[in-house]
Amino acid sequence: MLETKDLSYWYTNKEDYLFKDLDLTFDAGISYAIVGESGTGKTTLISLLAGLDKPRAGKILFRGEDIQASGLSNFRRHHVSIVFQAYNLFTYMSALENLMTALSITHSSHNGDRQYAMQMLSKLGLTEEQMKQNVQRLSGGQQQRVAIARAMVCDAPLVVADEPTGNLDEANSDEVMALFNQLAHDQGKCVIIVTHDAAGAAKCDAVLRLKHRELTWQKQPPVPAMVD
Amino acid sequence: MNFVKRAWLNLWARKGRSALLILVTAAIMLFVLAGLLLRSAANTAVANAKSSVGATLTLSANREAAFKKMREQMEDQSQDSDSDSDTTPTRPSLTMTPVKLSDAEKIAKLSGIESYNVSVSTSANASGFDVIETSTGTSIMQGGGGFGGRGGFEDNSGDITISGVSSTAGATAFSDGTNTITKGRGLTSDDIGTKNVVVETELAKQNDLAVGDTIKLKSLKTDDAAAKSYTVTIVGIYKAKSSSTAQMGPGASDPANTIFTSYSFANTLKGSDAKNTADSVIFTVSTPSKVDSVQKAAKKLINTSKFSIDSNDASYQMVKASMSSVTSFADKIVWLVAIAGTIILALIVILMIRERRFEIGVLLALGERRGKIIAQFFCELLVVLLVAIGLASAGGQFVGDKLGEQVVASAQTSTTNNAQGGFTRGGGQAPSGDQGQGAPSGQMPGNMGGRASANQAAMQKQAKLSTRITLKDVGLLTVLGLAIILIAITAGAAGILRLQPKKVLIGS
Repeated sequence: MLETKDLSYWYTNKEDYLFKDLDLTFDAGISYAIVGESGTGKTTLISLLAGLDKPRAGKILFRGEDIQASGLSNFRRHHVSIVFQAYNLFTYMSALENLMTALSITHSSHNGDRQYAMQMLSKLGLTEEQMKQNVQRLSGGQQQRVAIARAMVCDAPLVVADEPTGNLDEANSDEVMALFNQLAHDQGKCVIIVTHDAAGAAKCDAVLRLKHRELTWQKQPPVPAMVD
Repeated sequence: MNFVKRAWLNLWARKGRSALLILVTAAIMLFVLAGLLLRSAANTAVANAKSSVGATLTLSANREAAFKKMREQMEDQSQDSDSDSDTTPTRPSLTMTPVKLSDAEKIAKLSGIESYNVSVSTSANASGFDVIETSTGTSIMQGGGGFGGRGGFEDNSGDITISGVSSTAGATAFSDGTNTITKGRGLTSDDIGTKNVVVETELAKQNDLAVGDTIKLKSLKTDDAAAKSYTVTIVGIYKAKSSSTAQMGPGASDPANTIFTSYSFANTLKGSDAKNTADSVIFTVSTPSKVDSVQKAAKKLINTSKFSIDSNDASYQMVKASMSSVTSFADKIVWLVAIAGTIILALIVILMIRERRFEIGVLLALGERRGKIIAQFFCELLVVLLVAIGLASAGGQFVGDKLGEQVVASAQTSTTNNAQGGFTRGGGQAPSGDQGQGAPSGQMPGNMGGRASANQAAMQKQAKLSTRITLKDVGLLTVLGLAIILIAITAGAAGILRLQPKKVLIGS
């Protein structure tokens, strides 16, 4: 589904690159974890995969097409859902309104379908009352669930998450990781998670380690269960 | 249209911030509206001045020609006296030719003349009632006739000043508010040919006179005719606003001793020679801008060696000048407030965008178009603007009125100061406008007192500058407001266009 071809990134000095000539393939129906120490370029890599930044060299192909060719904004709108460590919900909206807004912006097939959004939130353990109250009144775990629900309701086949369990306790972290695996296995989405949490990463189908400017498979991906 | 809903949700969720933004915008709009109202009111005042203040043409005896004739007579006499040293030369007198009413009627038929008012002044003696006596220091002055138009004190003047008019409503002393009818009625064109009079309140009180009573007036004895007594009927009583005698000189009668009557009866009191004549006739020109062309046409109808026709559009010019300064001030207010408002709103929008960069980052990460994010901010400000315009419209009338009063007062002061020198030099401050407009036969006509009063009236009219909010004003305010928020959003949008979602959401 998603491929990188000779992907390279550096900040100011080309010689001082974060990673160079990366060739990776991410398939649908599989959850991937990218692990590594701080400053190794995990977040930069995931922002490139999510279309939030442009590579210095090489290209990223989504279903065989360069994501820059059709526009990064267009790529984000139609093909990728992003979950952030800080949730990044619209703080002046309720959980339900956050989902409805995402459905509208991404022109998803369930655009305007309140019942569908409520079902998704309910599936993630939010009560009807919680759905309708301002997100700032929800706990960290609940807010992260809303952020994941936002990624789930959209039609995007690719879900990218940056440290989604960074602000959560162990119990909530386990729940959230389980939800990401569900997204991959039940909805056939390609889920890529950047995490420090080794135990959480181990629950993913595949684990990539970024170390000393090299990306290596710590856990090889299984044979794709679903063909894109 | 999701950005519209987002805009609404944001405004509603952040009520306090929205209310503050509305207040700031309302304050800006309030001053823009006040400026617009002032400008529109000043333009209306100038337009009204054209029709209501008007310009006048005064037909009267040609003083310059009369003086010239007198000087020529004096030179002739001095030459005669050189040749014949035994004869004692007699000093020649200034002879003014009274205006013929037939000439006035011809001029009145010219296009551009709206109306005319005949003015005849003379004096008579009271018969069977007491005049108001004015005591100044040790002397008691009686009689004297009109002050404004008189050339000087005359021993053979009566103790009552007779002011003959076509109608009291058309007389400047009544139209400018110096005199007001308090009982009965004023004189109209129907009173021409009658012996109906209007007397002053003080004179009426002193003599227990009421509407319907009759009094007797005795004409002055002349070389040709003996004094004759006339019984006149009081049809109205007027109150003179300026009845002060402080400014009167020697020989002046108290203004309360002025009796208004029809010009025909005033001519009767003057004597048979005065029949169908007038001291002066004032024509009101319907369009002040056409006063020159009407004056030119009128000159062709009269004997300019005997009569002169002078234009007076000073009232109009004065209102126009002071309103121009109000318009200019209003323009400055509109521009200054609009520029300051744009800067203030632009800064607020820029701060707002900085404060909401995470929200913008999330929207960008979701794939929202930058144009729609800008449109969301525009919608938010549009709602704020509409509410602010509503508030400004409610308060704009009050602020416009107050600002208008201040601006007009300052414009009046400067315009009056500029104009006053000319008027005081010309005619001084006559106690009554009408007394200044015409003089008894043979005396110098003095229009300047009347003109000063007319200008005061014009300025009073102008002081009531009416600032009314119309749909046009609100429409113009909305257009200006939209322009202000568009510029402010454009300035703030630079921040949105530059914003990189990665830096906002991940990098930080």
